[in-house]
Amino acid sequence: MAETQTEVGVVGLGTHGTNHAEILTGMGHEVFGADTNPKSRREFQKRFDTTTYDSPSDLFQSGIDAAVISTPNKFHEPTATEAMDVGLDVLLEKPLAHTLESAERIHEAAIETGNICMVGFHHRYRNACQLVKEYIDEGYFGEITHIDAKFIRRRGVPGRGTWYTSEDIAGGGAMIDIGAHLMDMLLYFSGWAEIDEVMATKRSDFGQHGDYAYIEMWGEDDEAKMYDVEDSVTAACTFEHGMTANIEVAWAANTNSSHSYKLRGTEAGAHVDIVEPHREQVEGVTERRNQLELFEVRKACVDHYVDSEVVVPDNDPYAAQLETFIDAVVAGERPPTTNVDEALRVQRAVDRVYREGKPP
Amino acid sequence: MAQDGSASTGKTIRSVETAMSVLEAIQRHEPVGVTTITEETDRSKSTVHHHVSTLCEAGYLERVGDQYQLSLTFLTLGGQVRERKQLYHLAKDDVDALAERTGEQSRLIVEEDGLGVTLYRATGEHGAATDTHVGSTQDLYCTAAGKAFLAELPAETVDAYIEDQAFVPYTEHTIDDPETLRKELDAIGSRGVAFDDQEYFEGVRCVASAIGSQSGELLGAISVSAPVERMDEERFRSEIPDQLQNVAGVVEINSAYSEWTDAFSG
Repeated sequence: MAETQTEVGVVGLGTHGTNHAEILTGMGHEVFGADTNPKSRREFQKRFDTTTYDSPSDLFQSGIDAAVISTPNKFHEPTATEAMDVGLDVLLEKPLAHTLESAERIHEAAIETGNICMVGFHHRYRNACQLVKEYIDEGYFGEITHIDAKFIRRRGVPGRGTWYTSEDIAGGGAMIDIGAHLMDMLLYFSGWAEIDEVMATKRSDFGQHGDYAYIEMWGEDDEAKMYDVEDSVTAACTFEHGMTANIEVAWAANTNSSHSYKLRGTEAGAHVDIVEPHREQVEGVTERRNQLELFEVRKACVDHYVDSEVVVPDNDPYAAQLETFIDAVVAGERPPTTNVDEALRVQRAVDRVYREGKPP
Repeated sequence: MAQDGSASTGKTIRSVETAMSVLEAIQRHEPVGVTTITEETDRSKSTVHHHVSTLCEAGYLERVGDQYQLSLTFLTLGGQVRERKQLYHLAKDDVDALAERTGEQSRLIVEEDGLGVTLYRATGEHGAATDTHVGSTQDLYCTAAGKAFLAELPAETVDAYIEDQAFVPYTEHTIDDPETLRKELDAIGSRGVAFDDQEYFEGVRCVASAIGSQSGELLGAISVSAPVERMDEERFRSEIPDQLQNVAGVVEINSAYSEWTDAFSG
């Protein structure tokens, strides 16, 4: 953790922006804010006893050390490129952008300006996920042949009717939202393999004014004012070197919620099951999950299976991500993880699924 | 409601008033001769004659034989007024897209002086159901966009508006009493979609959604209209409202962030 206290400007003072600010102040850093909405500015100002701006340009010129950008996806590009142009390092909420073209322009700005540009794929900072990656790199699993990747919420359409469910503003639905996390993890586990072929189906079953019974709304609800995106995607992918993957992404589905990766290697396998924050509220159960299981077959006097449960200490992935970012800002060195290069690869993969995706 | 910007001193210039009523009479009847203008404006024939000559001289009117019509100078002025409206620039492409997606006529409407003014319109493959050209005005109580505006206004403002209305029965379906109108404004309520079921033009249905700023200021409305034959109950009450709301929501968000994007590019 950085010893130096830094001043961080948060652009977009919604749930994510406020969460970042909460962690940053907890770490001893100072936060400032910018938002288009006067109410959000007032609340942020009061909560963190700080200054806010209605224009990010003014925030960027105020002498801050770095910027955290959590605007709607469509406004990542203008905000992030402006920040980097004036010499600021940035952490962007995921996905990198609402479209591949916009993501490429952000990537280009990061390369040209030489500023740090990290993207908020926070699940990667979970101890269980990092441990799996280390086992993969050590060769414990042999060669990874297949990954079953699921990010399914039973009822978790975020902010129905807000920008999250607008094609124009978000760039897509479940796939670009939680599917971006899934694709990031999948590519990370695969060693950033190139996708060869994709067969994908996208559905919108919980549309604008359809019946949407739920236990607790995920995020704010705007009575489904805008809703022109898919709420689930199922896909089968083949990668270079012969790896395959099944992908299931859903904001809402009549099945158990699951954010899990089942890896099959030539030598061993693993199941990693990630608990989502607030899942208890959505699911109505408080079962604790954030677990890793390993599957082996061994030869001895009798051939046998060895299934092991791995216990890792819980960690806060958001805090780990922000620590990585602040450390990078202080050191002035680009972090090796969840950087703009990786985020652009994720965006390409998500874009590919959208392009190949057909309605059922 | 938008203020008309007139001086509050109570002093007005009679000859300017005459000029305006001459222009308005010509707008209603063009091309039109001096006799008709005289009847419409309640001024003497010689006064009207002096006015039309002066307006011709200044380039605001054109003479066609014995009659007069408005000149393109008004388009020059009107075009400039529209260019100045930020909403026009923010919503134009979305109105085009909506017209293409629905195949019908889509319009961008703003409120001024208790009337809905068409700021922009785009027409889909089926053509236009009505002749509501850019700049044309319609009453609020009998149009979808108008009702969408009224539903956003505070009760006192709506009361004042209703007080002033003559409730002209444009068709047999036109709302003709304040109570029915109030009930309908309540119904528009949280969903934010307003309907005109053949209330202004016989045989034409229209759906509209208001566009507001983050601080609650009313910016305008977007509408889609089509003849009843192409607008059955399902399309009128569900399909078009859904498409319209997707667009209206996007325009609202783009407008909220427009200052940021403008500041960056400038």
